Amino acid sequence: MSGRIVVGYTATKAGKDAIAVASGLAAASGAELDIVLVLPGEGRSVITPPDASYDRYLLGQAEQWLAEAATSVGEGVVHREHARYAESFAEGLIEAADEFGATHIVVGAADGGSRGRHRLGSTTGQLLHSSDVPVVLVPRGSRKRVTDAGVPRLTVAVGTRAGADVLLDEAVTLATDTGASLRLVSLVTVDLPASVDTGVIRLAGAAHAEEVLASVLDRVPPGVPAEILAARGDDIQDAVSHLDWLPGEIILVGSSRLAQPRRLFLGSTAAKLLDQIPVPMIVVPRTRTPEGAGR
Amino acid sequence: MTRNAPEKVPVGGDSGLSQKGLNAGTVGLIGAVVIGISCIAPAYTFTAAIGPTASTVGAQIPAVILIGFIPMLLVAFGYRELNNRMPDAGTSFTWATRAFGPWVGWMAGWGLVVATILVLSNLAGVAVEFLFLLISQITGNAGVADLAFEVWINIAVCLLFMLGATYISYRDMQTTQKLQYVLVTFQVAVLVLFSVVAISQAVGGNGFDFQPFDLEWFNPFAISSFSALAAGLSLSIFIFWGWDVTLTMNEETKDPEKTPGRAATVTVITIVSLYLLLAVAMIMFAGVGTGELGLGNEDIQANVFFFLSDPVLGPLAFLVSLAVLTSSASSLQSTFVGPARTLLAMGHYGALPPAFAKVSPRFFTPGYATIVSAIVASGFYVVMRLVSENTLWDTILTLGMMICFYYGITAFACVWYFRKQWFDSVRNVFFTFLFPLVGGVILAILFVTTLIDSMDPAYGSGANVFGLGIVFILGMLIILIGIGVMVWQSFVRPAFFRGETLGMDAPASARKLRAESENRR
Repeated sequence: MSGRIVVGYTATKAGKDAIAVASGLAAASGAELDIVLVLPGEGRSVITPPDASYDRYLLGQAEQWLAEAATSVGEGVVHREHARYAESFAEGLIEAADEFGATHIVVGAADGGSRGRHRLGSTTGQLLHSSDVPVVLVPRGSRKRVTDAGVPRLTVAVGTRAGADVLLDEAVTLATDTGASLRLVSLVTVDLPASVDTGVIRLAGAAHAEEVLASVLDRVPPGVPAEILAARGDDIQDAVSHLDWLPGEIILVGSSRLAQPRRLFLGSTAAKLLDQIPVPMIVVPRTRTPEGAGR
Repeated sequence: MTRNAPEKVPVGGDSGLSQKGLNAGTVGLIGAVVIGISCIAPAYTFTAAIGPTASTVGAQIPAVILIGFIPMLLVAFGYRELNNRMPDAGTSFTWATRAFGPWVGWMAGWGLVVATILVLSNLAGVAVEFLFLLISQITGNAGVADLAFEVWINIAVCLLFMLGATYISYRDMQTTQKLQYVLVTFQVAVLVLFSVVAISQAVGGNGFDFQPFDLEWFNPFAISSFSALAAGLSLSIFIFWGWDVTLTMNEETKDPEKTPGRAATVTVITIVSLYLLLAVAMIMFAGVGTGELGLGNEDIQANVFFFLSDPVLGPLAFLVSLAVLTSSASSLQSTFVGPARTLLAMGHYGALPPAFAKVSPRFFTPGYATIVSAIVASGFYVVMRLVSENTLWDTILTLGMMICFYYGITAFACVWYFRKQWFDSVRNVFFTFLFPLVGGVILAILFVTTLIDSMDPAYGSGANVFGLGIVFILGMLIILIGIGVMVWQSFVRPAFFRGETLGMDAPASARKLRAESENRR
């Protein structure tokens, strides 16, 4: 892959987390980094008197922040820095991704999350609603867990109903580019009233999951190592908590089946996943854009 | 692919940036006028300033409003020259440092910061009173309005207001342009409605103390003494304060040649007519005596609309409360920007700890400086509320004095900075020499006169400490604390005070340069 990755940067811990993960991903896949810092756009200020000299000061500060960010990019990764103006962080990143023909947008977690966990803020939420390229969500503290392992494995969250073509394509492409193996995971839950014979349901659910996983596995091209796993638990959180993670691993999930323009992108299962997993998550749009997002 | 040498494109050369550019050229004529009016916040300034003005100059309020505008205009010309030559977020601080060196510059910055911090606490105080009034008008429960005068309730609500305003400023939350237009139009419309109703009530014999209209109100020579005139003038400078943003918005406007001048003209005509109409209406309705609703009554002076809106408008009085509340609220935010940006510049040039130069990486506001301003303004309000019963009144008088102080320094900075260019052109003679010089001299006279007069314990609200008027004590304390902090900073951070971070300068005469280059040929 000779794609470009847009990193939404702010001079915060979350921004540094995003750079760390994006840098690792770029190094493993041979992509280039575009570090983008989005400044509040023109015409936004209606109460506070606009002041061009303050804006200049801000731009100088932004350039300094970008220069600092550039120093933390890994050796040998091609990177460029951009300060851009936009109405919102999300809008600025989407515009940048569109302009550069980027394959991914990487953003850090919102403030207030606990260490090693994801947290969606309003800006990330907005990005998930409107991005047409995969968005990489980075858990808090990723900057401290940089490894040389590259991307050893990609976990793909496969729904119990088949039909995740775009998700699988994305996973296969990324696996080919990074040399990662695939782990196709289905989450099997029993979240039913106590009166129902849960043992029977669990077995039925697990059997169905194995079938779906096997059919997905069939569509993985030869040459890409892949395994399947049905993770069981009382509920989604419980099922996820039993999964093991390798350093450098990334999980891919598809956007919600309900995803439409202006609709919530991240499904409820994926949102529950996000609470539990300690690795970066790539949210893949359900349908591919016609031009293939520059790939 | 992975072995590519890292290549770095300079940030400034990014195509995205050159396309979009800075915020340059986004403000049109109407936008500039709206920003100007909302910065002046006429509903708020008028309610806070008319009472003290009436008690110093009597019925000659219109005269004082008219001449109060002159020094403001003259100084604003100087501001514009400096802003075009050295655009800098530090405004007065930076310009005075360039012209007169670090010590004077530091004090100019201090004056600006303190003046805006004073007005912040005053704004919040006025907003609190109107909040309670509005609730009482809507619920029909008169007792609620009196809650605003319970000291601890007042302080608690005021601090909540400050907290809210700080949060909004820190996160740089903006309303939509449409809403801002609606609010400003509403504010002006309500004030006009109030004036018209007050005049017709007064003429119809329903006024509190009907005074027939008299041209003598516009005659400044009818004012009893020079001291009274000086006090009145420094108050009327306060009511125009904020107007200069329209003139200094330059690169920010769509047409820098024409927009700022036109916007400033439209704004000032609107504001002056509004003030004159209001002043005439109020005098006709209530008189300037010390009776229950008279403008000279000490008990109503600090917040005249608060007491007059009910008698004048009856059931519609809540509109006035709403107008003043929204005007104070949006003015709180635009006012916060001033001290925060100046403190930021002072931190940047090493005149204050570097923490002041910090920009919030998420919201791109001068975060640290904003929070410090808010804490100081809140602390100041609490102390004043506890010390003096007429807090609002005394802070307004002190504020007028501090505005004269730093505006005066800025005007002189303009004159001195351009000293080599005064006679380059006829335009320069007026705009870099005569106008700011006269403006500066007027402000200096006002400052000194007010300072001397305010030593009288009866000055302002009549509160005094050891027989000295509270306004004098406040003013002196502010300046002395400023000098103290400055001296302390000069030991901790000597580089700025040696002129290493921001040197003195005077641009050379363009005529002389031309002559020299011709000689060389």
